[in-house]
Parts: sequence; C-alpha cells; structure tokens
Amino acid sequence: MVDERMTNPVQDLIAEATRLRYSRRTVIRRAAALGLSAPALGLVLSGTGRQPVAAKAPSVQLGGELNILAGSYFVPEAQTFFDQQTKEWGDQNNVTVSTDYVNWPDIQPKVASAVESGAGPDIVELRDTWTYLYYEQMVDLNDLAASVGGAGGNFYGWAENTVAVDGQYYSIPVGTSSAAFAYRQSYFEQAGATEFPKTWEELFAVGKELKAMGKPIGQALGHSTGDPPNFAYSYMWAHGAMEVEEDGKTIAINKPEFVSALETLITGWKDAFDETGLSWDDSANNRAFLSDQISATINGSSIYIAAQNAAAGAETDTDYEVVVDPADINHAGFPEGPAGRFNVLGSWSYGIMKYSENQEAARAFLEWWLAPEQFEPWLEAQKGYIIPALPAYAENPIFTTDPKLAPYLDVVNYGRNKGYAGPANQKAARASSEYIITDLIAKAIQNNDAQGAVDEAVRLLERVYGR
Amino acid sequence: MAMVGSATGAKRILRFHVPLAFYAVFLLFPFLWMLIVSLKPDQELLDTGQNPFLLANATFTHYRYLFAETDILRYALNTAVVTVVATVLSLTCSVLIGYALGRLRFKGGYLLGVIIFLAYLVPPTVLFIPLAQVVARFNLYNSYWALIFTYPTFLIPFASWLLMGYFRTISRELEDAALVDGASRWQAMWRIILPLAIPGILSAGIFCFTLGWNEFLYALVFMGGGDMKTIPVGVVSDLIRADVYQWGSLMAAGILGSVPVAIAYSFFVDQYISGLTAGSTKG
Amino acid sequence: MAVQPLPRTSVPDRSRASSRFGALLEREWFLAYLFLLPGGLILLLFMAYPFGLGIWLSMTDKLVGFSDYSFIRLENYRWIYGDSIFRQTVVNTFIYGFVTVPFKLFLGLGLALLLNETFRFSRLLRAGLLLPWIVPTALSSLAWLMLFDAVFSPFSLLGRQWGLLDSNINFLGDAFSARASLCLANIWRGIPFFAVSILAGLQAVPSELHEAAALDGASPWQRFQSVTLPVIRNILLITTLFSIIWTFADFQLVYVLTKGGPVNLTHVFGTYSYQKMGAGYIGEAATVSLYMFPILAVLAAILLRYVRRED
Repeated sequence: MVDERMTNPVQDLIAEATRLRYSRRTVIRRAAALGLSAPALGLVLSGTGRQPVAAKAPSVQLGGELNILAGSYFVPEAQTFFDQQTKEWGDQNNVTVSTDYVNWPDIQPKVASAVESGAGPDIVELRDTWTYLYYEQMVDLNDLAASVGGAGGNFYGWAENTVAVDGQYYSIPVGTSSAAFAYRQSYFEQAGATEFPKTWEELFAVGKELKAMGKPIGQALGHSTGDPPNFAYSYMWAHGAMEVEEDGKTIAINKPEFVSALETLITGWKDAFDETGLSWDDSANNRAFLSDQISATINGSSIYIAAQNAAAGAETDTDYEVVVDPADINHAGFPEGPAGRFNVLGSWSYGIMKYSENQEAARAFLEWWLAPEQFEPWLEAQKGYIIPALPAYAENPIFTTDPKLAPYLDVVNYGRNKGYAGPANQKAARASSEYIITDLIAKAIQNNDAQGAVDEAVRLLERVYGR
Repeated sequence: MAMVGSATGAKRILRFHVPLAFYAVFLLFPFLWMLIVSLKPDQELLDTGQNPFLLANATFTHYRYLFAETDILRYALNTAVVTVVATVLSLTCSVLIGYALGRLRFKGGYLLGVIIFLAYLVPPTVLFIPLAQVVARFNLYNSYWALIFTYPTFLIPFASWLLMGYFRTISRELEDAALVDGASRWQAMWRIILPLAIPGILSAGIFCFTLGWNEFLYALVFMGGGDMKTIPVGVVSDLIRADVYQWGSLMAAGILGSVPVAIAYSFFVDQYISGLTAGSTKG
Repeated sequence: MAVQPLPRTSVPDRSRASSRFGALLEREWFLAYLFLLPGGLILLLFMAYPFGLGIWLSMTDKLVGFSDYSFIRLENYRWIYGDSIFRQTVVNTFIYGFVTVPFKLFLGLGLALLLNETFRFSRLLRAGLLLPWIVPTALSSLAWLMLFDAVFSPFSLLGRQWGLLDSNINFLGDAFSARASLCLANIWRGIPFFAVSILAGLQAVPSELHEAAALDGASPWQRFQSVTLPVIRNILLITTLFSIIWTFADFQLVYVLTKGGPVNLTHVFGTYSYQKMGAGYIGEAATVSLYMFPILAVLAAILLRYVRRED
C-alpha cells in the first residue's frame, strides 16, 4: 500500500542508507524523521538489505517455549491469523509458541495471580491503563517502543499515556477497540433527526420520539468493562466533572453542572432509554440492536460487522437473529456537553513479564510481530474492529474505504484516558475496576437521587485517590 | 415401599403425580432450554417472532462448531485426568482421616475433627492469590498437578466429614471381635471395616468427582497454555468472543460436559443415596 | 453383612515379623496420626499456609503487583466494616442465604418424599432430577443468564407474543427482581442436593413403624411427625448447614448473572472480594472474604449443637 508520493522519499532514503551504511536502527530513526509510513519503512529496510524483521537471522539462538495471554478475539479469523503468525515465527526460531485466549473479564485475574506468584504467561495483553498496575513485574521495553513507535510516526498520546509509566515503556500499544454510537438511520429520520444529534440534550429529545415509536435508545449500565464506562465517563467529562483534577489528587466530581446533568439523565432515562439497561452487559446491547429492539447504542464496530456478515449470507457466529440491514446502520461520534466532547480511550498493549524465563524470545517475537510486514496484515484481519495506536496505520484502506467506520477512528481526536484530567495511572485503573463512575450513573438513575450518588462516589474516589 | 395408606387413583394423581410433574418441570426446564438452544439454528435461535420454546428445525451445527472450533475433546481429557486423580487422592486421604477421627481414640481427635470442619468454611476467594504463590513455588503452574493438589483443599474436608460419620455407624464389636481373633488393627480396618464402608466411600467419591468436574476459579487461574484448559474454562474462553456469546455451542458444551457425571450418577444413584444416609445422620 | 473370618494363617506370620513398627501400628494414637498424615500434609501446604498468608495480607495495604507494602493491623477491617457497599453485601448475602435455604429445604423435602415412592422409572427420575446439581455451574448459569436476558429472555418474548407484556421483563435490572432471579436460580441448583440427602435418610425409616402407626389411625401428617421426622432430623440439620455454607460462599452464579450489579445491589462476599481483587486491593479483598468466616462458624456452631443434642 505504498502511496505514489512516497516512492521518492523511499528511494532517497535507500540511497542515503546504502551510501552511509546506516544500521537498521538508524534507518528506522531516519524514516521516522522523514515521516515515512510503516509500509514505506518496510520497503526501505528491504531495499537496503536490512532485515525488515529481526527474526530470520536471529543474532542469538532462540529456543524453548513462549506462552502468550490474550483476550478472545471478536473476529475469529483474526485469531486464527495470529495463531498462524506465531506458528510461522516459532518454526523459524525453534520456539514453541502457544497463545491462551480467555474471556475478557478473566484476563485480569489471570494477570494478577501471575504477577503475585511469579508464574504464568511470558507475554500478556493488557487493556486500558493496566500497565500501571503491573509494571513493577514487567520488563522495560523502551528500545522496542522506540523502534516500533519510531517506524510508525510515534504512538498517539492516548496510547502512550496508558503504557509509559514515568516515560518508561513497559508494554507496546497495538491499538484499541473504540466506541461510537451505532444508530438506525431510518428511525432517526422518522423521529425528525436527519443527522445524529450533536449534544446529549438533543439526543435525549430525539430519544423521546424514538421511545414513543417503540425503539428507545439502549445503554448498558451493568458491571461490565466496555460499553457502560464508555458512556459513564464521557457523560461525566462532557458536563465538567472528573474523577480528579490535573494534580491527580483533588477529587473533582462534585460539580453542580454535573449534578444537574445527572438530573437531566434521570428524566431522559425514563423518556428515551430502554430502562432494563441497568442490568445490560457488553453483549446485551448488541442483541437488542440487531434484533430491532432499540434504535441506537454505544458500541464497538461489532454490531455493524456482524450485520454485514449476516447480510453477506456468511455462516455467522452471532447469537441473534440479525434482522437489521447494515445499510440502515450508521455510526456517529459521541454528542457533546457544555464542557465539550469526550470519549474514553485506553490501549490494548503487549508486555513481557519479568519472571519469564524466555525474555529473549518474547522480545524477539514482539519485535518481529510488531514490524509492519506482520502487524499490518493482522490489523487488516481485524476488519477495522481495532483502531491502531500508530498514526501510520490509520491510512490503511480498512479504515478509509468505508466512511461509516470513520467515527471509530475519529475517537482518537477527542478520546481521553480513564483518570483524566489526572494521569492515566493505577488509581484510575482501580476506580475503573471498582465501577465507581458506572455505578454513580446507575445509582443516580435507580435511586432517582443525583446528589446522593455523587456524594457516594466522592467517598469512594477519596479512598482510591487518597493513598 | 408402596404409598402408605390406601389412595384411590385420582387421589394418587393429585398427591403424587401432580407435585412430581411440578418438580420435573422446574428442575428440568433450564436443562431443556439448554437442549433447545443447542439444537436451534442461529437464524431461529432468538427470532422474536417465533415461540422461543419450539424447535422447528433441529440442527447439529452448534455441536459441529464445538468440535471443529474448540479443543473440546482435549478439554474433556484434561478435566477427566485432573478430576479422577484429584478424586482418588482426596478420597484416599479422606478415608484415612475419616477412619482415624471416626474410629480411633486419641488425644486431640475431637479438636482435629473441628479443624477439618472449619477448613471447609475457608472461602476460596481468600485462598486463590496465596495459593497461586504456592503453586508457583512448587513449579506446578500449568501442569495437571496444580489442580490435582489444589482441588483436595475443598474435597478433603467435606469427604472426611462425611466418611467420619459413616465409619462411626459401623459397629465397634465387629472390629473388636477381629482383634480378639488376633488380627492386627491394620487388618481389621482393611478386611472388615473398609468393605462395609464402601457405600459411604462411593458417595464421597461421586461427590468429589462432581465438584472437581465443575470447578472454575482454580482451573482458570492455575492453568494456561491453550491446551491445558478444563471444560468449563475452555468453552467459556473459546465461545464468548468479546461482546458476542455463541449461545448454541455454549449450551451444547454444557450438555456434553455433564454427560460423564450424569452417567456416573445414573449407575450409582442408589448406592450414592445409601452412602449418604449413615454418613450424614451420624455426622 | 456377615463378618468374614480372617484367614488364620496370616496371624503367625504377622507375629513373627512383629517389628517395633508393627507394635506401634497397634497403638490407636500412632495409627491415627499416621492416617492423618497424607491428608494433613496436603491441607497444611495448600490450605493452612495460603490461609495464613491470606490472614496476613488482610492486615497489610498490599496491592497486586507491588512488592512494597506495610503492616496496617486491623485498618482494612475497620474500613471495610464502615464501607456502605460491604454492608450492602452482608445484607444481600443474608437475604440470599435466608430466602433460598428454606425453599431448598422444603422443596427438597417434598421431592424426597415423592421419590421415596416406588414407581416406574423411579431410578431414572432420581438421576434425572439431580441434573441441576450435576451440570457445571459455569454453564448452567449461562442458561439462566439467557433465560433472564433483558432483551432476549424467552419469557419476555413469549409474553410479548401473547400480548401479556408490552415491554421486556426487567429480570436483573432492579434490586428486587435481580435478587429474586438470583434466588430462583440458586434454589433450582440446590434442591437436588437436599432431595438426595433427605431421600437417603428416608430409606432408613423402618416401614413397619409407618404401617403400625397407620393401623393406629394416625394421619399422614402425624405419621410424618412421629415416625419420619425423628429419623431424618439430623440429616435435615446437616444438609441445611452445608447449604448455608455453599450459599454464603457462592460466587459463580452471582458472578455470571450480575457481577454484583446493578450498583452493587446483588454482591455476595465472594463477588465483592473478587471485584476488590480486580482493582488490585489484595488486603481488602482478603478482608472481605474473611469477614464471612466467623459468620459461618457461628451458624455452624449453632446447627451442630442441635445435631449433638440428639446424640
């Protein structure tokens, strides 16, 4: 996927590198300075006779076993593809690689017991700001971050924040699944909205019409790690409240404008939302949307991809009767509030554990896999479900050919890490694991008491941030 | 035993068949639901226009998917190995403990009995992180031994307790007679008491087997590496992808996963029941 | 069962080889400790030691993944005691335990009385009705998750198709219905254990006594009270005790169905502790779990006293 205009800098750099006998690392650094895309860098590297990947002729003899822990993939083919990649690399390097895919909520207990006991997978996939929770037991990956990031035009800030503890990289971000509103164009038009509402209040107003039509908005607010916090944090930030100020200490959630926004939401919930949402988990809204019970919901692109698969007549793995035409599904970024427009972003990243007895191989594998030749096809296999942590990959056609997926990529422009306006650190991760913000919203709705819910959250946040 | 008292046919239906039918419906209903879901094609699975409890077209797609896309047979093997070995180990220990506490007089016996019982009250959630350290220290992570040695923590206390009660029900004279006849204590236990305790041992064994077969938390945390998963962990990992549940195959796995235990029960249900009798009445 | 006569020949052999060890084996205390050894060793290593470690951790401010922590005595216990979510959790657990156990007891007793009759397929039905207890909870609770699904519950679908409902049933979405749903699933899973244990007790009831009482004109209820109940009294107590332990310590059913939500209204000790662990608070997580221990011990002591009174 090399752009025409890229050809020249590529040739130039090849010439330069050959003339000055650049090392592989220097080539990478120069490519980054010139702003070359990841695939272009691959061309330069192969053009200069440098190994685009470290694996084929490893300087040290690798061997032994390597175990990777990752969340189950939403796109099954991508999981199969990753298995092929690990096998390919393993065969070349005489390393037996196995990957352990687990249900998302089970990743954290496994990592926690691994870091506490010093036995477990060599490479772990981390979500959100988890790197801050476990970095003491993880290997410093600054070199790798420099080469991977350098080649791709430096990681996005939201990705870097979640993996670099005090500027030190402990895991390498690959991207994240982002969230946007999936909505039914026809229903919104019927309700008098030709385009998706720009503010939360407008959304509630349209939602009232939609609910009257029997197709409310659906929002998950149960104890679940994806869709509920995506809404809760964004709504909080949009109304001027946050867990803590920039200093990471001062609790800043008890804001009058937020309390009144919660009151608006309490009314809005009855008028515009499916009220069973308080118990929904990440999967419930997929089912509700695709079975034509709701008209809009916050989700990753999984709803759209599933509808497309079903429409294509493919043998689907979905758990619902897909009655929704993908042509009627559109996506929109989150509405804005008085304080602006927000969304939640946390990276998915890969790190190496300190207790691993095969750190050499783990590092070599990550270096190989994160090189554009391997990584870009993997990203393509994800069908756009995962947005990249490096700007270079954002130019990939999977993100640009279907304009409907654009809102997912656009999240990088207004997404914030959990913990904002404070740093994305372990405290933010703890508050998130205790569902403090999600429960704040749910509690306000359930008890019909905005101020009471905020006060309770203040107490819990003080405990988390106060020590 | 026939129904006590003389009941006419209609009375019997009212007093016996109607309540029994109620139980059968309530207890088997979710199971039936699993069966329906596992046999329903995806298109009909949750079609809102259709009666969800009817099965218009049965399909084995979900079962095929289960065998093609997950390592279910391997998981079954893992589960079987771990459960059988852990059960045998726990049962051996429990028979010895139960015998010692139930039939031998020694100092501290009562106290130890209480401690064994209290061990049963220790919540697994407090154990699992410290236990992970022990497992790691003995280098057991991701091996069968990790589960074989951790399952007894919840199997031994219950089985010992049950067997202790069972051993107490066996008359002391039998043993004394043998001892008078010149048998050693060991022989008296091995030849006389143990054969009499077989129903109790059997029900403790089935009990251990069920608990081991169904265990989730330890199997999740102490095993890794793809092909070392047990059935409950493996199917949940493989069939819940991000925010999508593959219901049909999950339910198929639930049904297939319980077959071995169900078979064990249908063979031994009577012995199991008679084994529980004495064991728990004299607990 | 008749006592098998011991082969006489083995005795002289044995006495000839009467080593010191053989003599020791004849002492009850030695044999007892020997028998306690293997199980005791396993429990010591894999239970007592981690349990001790857990108690120690509950008195520290240890966080998952951080090696630096300090001893803070009972600070966690004090904080957790005052924690409103924990208090809610205690309430939930007691509701969960004290609603489900009586249902399980009475429904289990009823089922046992029915199954005690001889009828066609009785054996098959006995095994069949055990299914709720046999199916791995990780999977059977998924079946309940489906049945209670907010948007796809078959009950909601059917209700809407038949025009009985105009919106989906909110099974897990508010405190009352979520707790009720959890209780229902728990009762479902727990009945078979009660039924089987009680059935075991019923088979020890001598049928002659029943017949004699019937001849004396005793009503079925009187016969149950005077003949059956005394025999199965202990089994009822013991089964109840174990059921209370399991219900209080339940984790999986609640975790799969609600993860403690909505808004922590359905947490039990296990799930709240697990949530604390997820947030990295090992010390607090251990504390939450450990609070359950004395509660269970007291309940156990009360019930066991009743059992012993009989002996």
